[in-house]
Amino acid sequence: MSEHALDKLIEAARLDPDHVFSAPWEARAFALALKLSESGHFTWDEFRAHLIAEVGASDRIRARDGTSDQGEYYEHFLRALEKLLDEKGIAHLLSA
Amino acid sequence: MSDHHNTDHSGPAARVKALEAILAEKGLIDSASIDAIVDAYETRVGPRNGARVVAKAWIAPAYRRRLLADATKAVAELDFAGPEGGHLVAVENTDRVHNLVVCTLCSCYPWPVLGLPPVWYKSFAYRSRAVSDPRGVLADFGLKLKPEVEVRVWDSSAEIRYLVIPQRPKGTEKMSEDELVAIVTRDSMVGVAKVEAPRR
Repeated sequence: MSEHALDKLIEAARLDPDHVFSAPWEARAFALALKLSESGHFTWDEFRAHLIAEVGASDRIRARDGTSDQGEYYEHFLRALEKLLDEKGIAHLLSA
Repeated sequence: MSDHHNTDHSGPAARVKALEAILAEKGLIDSASIDAIVDAYETRVGPRNGARVVAKAWIAPAYRRRLLADATKAVAELDFAGPEGGHLVAVENTDRVHNLVVCTLCSCYPWPVLGLPPVWYKSFAYRSRAVSDPRGVLADFGLKLKPEVEVRVWDSSAEIRYLVIPQRPKGTEKMSEDELVAIVTRDSMVGVAKVEAPRR
């Protein structure tokens, strides 16, 4: 099922070993979350709980459908951040 | 200006941009500090730090003992600290034991020594198989272990992060600490690769 997907991701990392972000927006999203947690708007553990929820929801779909991921981790990351900020009343970005 | 932007159906790049604009407008962040964090994690905080820790452990038996006893403290001796660095545990590869690190739930990873995790570390493919089929995963990375080698898989969590101390390859006995730092790879410190001696 997913062996093939891992091969591709490993190969991508070999070609570009230093890359940790696939797009500039991923770096911005990461930095926003880290900055807001450092300034005390939420704890990193609170953020992680949201991230685990997003990743877990995606994992369940993949396990059910037998699909593999293409490295959309930061989409889960962003969604987790948006939801947390919404819950905290810091910024409402989600449509109802 | 309202902060209700219906950006949910936009692409992630547009959503991040909208988010950053709102947060800046509220005075919660400034773009310069965001730039600084991005720069730090793209350039400064990375696996070179962990490679320094490993090289030192190879060279100095006393440091190796301190690292195995309390990795958080031993790493702090080298001034590597920061977010996601608490409760670090070092696990050592030997002829009999090979250690592999995963975070099955999300992406927990020792940032101060390894930087941010690579894409494969966060993938479902890796997270879902590292525990159930570690040898299969290692084979995907091109690493075949002898059958008698025990594979230990460490599932990272919010509480504990792991750093693998790879085996020092033969033929590196005369290398300096700096030379050793240069051959220690990120993958070897996650446990998906061995360190290779440089070809002469």
